[in-house]
Amino acid sequence: MSISTRLAAEFGIGFAFLLEIGVFALLSPYFFTADNLLNISLQASITAIIAVGMTFVILTGGIDLSVGSLVALAGIVTTSVLKLDIPLVVSFPLAILSGLLVGSASGVMAGLCMTRFRIAPFIVTLALMTIWRGAAFMYTEGRPIWELPEIFGVLGSGRLLGIPVPTHIMLIVFVVAHVVLKYTTFGRHVYAVGGNVEAARVAGIAVDRVYVVVYTISGGLSALSGMLLASRINSGQPNAGLMYELDVIAAVVVGGTSLNGGRGSVVGTFVGAMLIAVLRNGLNLLNIGSYVQQVVVGVVILLAVMVDRWRRAE
Amino acid sequence: MKRNYLLFPLFLGLFVGITCGKRDETRQTKIIGVALLTRGHMFYRDLEEGLLEEAQKHQYELIITSAEFDLGKQIAQVEDFISRKVDAIIVCPVDSKGIGTAVKAANAAGIPVFTADIAAQEGKVVSHIASDNVAGGRLAGEFLAKALGGKGNIAIINHPAVTSVLDRVQGFKEAIAQYPEINIVADVSGQGVRDRSLQVTTDVLQAHPTLNGIFGINDDSALGALDAVQQYKKEGIIIVGYDATPPALDAIRKGTALKADVIQYPKVIGTTTIQKIRDHFAGMPVPPIVPVEVGIVDRQTLHASSEGR
Repeated sequence: MSISTRLAAEFGIGFAFLLEIGVFALLSPYFFTADNLLNISLQASITAIIAVGMTFVILTGGIDLSVGSLVALAGIVTTSVLKLDIPLVVSFPLAILSGLLVGSASGVMAGLCMTRFRIAPFIVTLALMTIWRGAAFMYTEGRPIWELPEIFGVLGSGRLLGIPVPTHIMLIVFVVAHVVLKYTTFGRHVYAVGGNVEAARVAGIAVDRVYVVVYTISGGLSALSGMLLASRINSGQPNAGLMYELDVIAAVVVGGTSLNGGRGSVVGTFVGAMLIAVLRNGLNLLNIGSYVQQVVVGVVILLAVMVDRWRRAE
Repeated sequence: MKRNYLLFPLFLGLFVGITCGKRDETRQTKIIGVALLTRGHMFYRDLEEGLLEEAQKHQYELIITSAEFDLGKQIAQVEDFISRKVDAIIVCPVDSKGIGTAVKAANAAGIPVFTADIAAQEGKVVSHIASDNVAGGRLAGEFLAKALGGKGNIAIINHPAVTSVLDRVQGFKEAIAQYPEINIVADVSGQGVRDRSLQVTTDVLQAHPTLNGIFGINDDSALGALDAVQQYKKEGIIIVGYDATPPALDAIRKGTALKADVIQYPKVIGTTTIQKIRDHFAGMPVPPIVPVEVGIVDRQTLHASSEGR
């Protein structure tokens, strides 16, 4: 193995990420500015937060396709509650709570369908994906929910210490998730279940409970993202979050988490999500057409996973 | 096992919903199958309203389906119409080329096909009823050029996958071409939805700090651009949208950066489509393309006609 491939293998995705930043910084004078980097962190936050939940799910060897639809549904539930004719001090927390509740409830449902009825995660979440998308359209009759109280905009568009609020929330979510996965019993159980279910069961781990909890986390975080997005676009849109599941899964996989479960980390997912966000941003800054972008993003996902394979083969 | 009982009513509910959806097949009235692109845009809700209103006048029965941007689903829906032997089919194609096979299948079964809003490029269509999108794009371009005093840098928040959008952009570029001091510096895809449009517009604002104007190919694109402009507190940018949906009109009234909107009359497209089908049923000649007029509204015209929508 040559030195350059060994270097690539050693640092894997982090190396690719730094290379990417270097290339865009050279090509566009607008890329490496504080303003644009904050912009990237803000844009990445929506999918990155969902990707944390997806990492838990994929670590157990599962998949959650319902996340994009939950983004829309949670956004609609939250904005609808905000439009209720009650004082804002009541409706605001209630809106956030009901949004999170919808997401978590969907996750619990998904987990129960899998563990009680033995239906594969792919099928359960595929069904939920179309059910929630349909529900979002049915409830709104296809129209957006708008004219929201101004204060709601703070969630997605506000800044704290000069840094966008969603960026703060994303960082908190990542730190908490990292601690949970690395330093708690539950975290070890997630890896154990994904590594070898039978062994985990023999070891006395409540496997079914682990499954239900990871899908609940994924649903809850999708809802959180959905609310941030609704705040950013100042409306509840039934067509929000279309195809986000693919962006999110791509971020997790590029971050080195194995689709077979048992191997990976949220740190990797963070780098994966950032890598894809930087790529999209950089291509837009360079004014590269949307057709070309689709191809480039696909190629980069493949390359990133190949680099990861080398590292594992070593 | 207690938890199973919680899920049971849900599935029962779904099942009842499905069985109630069945239609009795004994009616004598003309049946028209409608394959919409989506029910997610207000434009299509209004178009649907127009279809229903006019169909009721002539006592036609409509079977309305929506593909939600899924070509495979839409082809299946048209095939279902063919096997149900409907009297006419209205399609708003997901993909102008891709729908060809389904149109040809309807042709082979002798069922007349009409397209509304978006044209089909293959197969035989009796008539295509749509807004004059090239004219609409031209109106948008002229408004923006005049508002900018004939010079500046502008961006298009595009969605180059549908012919109606290609037409809008073509008309827009035609109008802009009359002004040599206006440059189109960015042409990006927001996929016609607000969240993606917000994202690409923020990137455009980063890359082009001196941007003066934005054309959003529909209102979700224009409103996403407006979100970006407001969040980055950019001053002096003029946005022009397309479709004149209530949230866009509200933004124009409030004096935001969104200054004008091309207004289509989707309800008129709906009613006209049914009228053309009636003409066809009556054996009258129907022109292959029926353009429906468009207009442009800004703050002044909105104030002038405050009784409007």
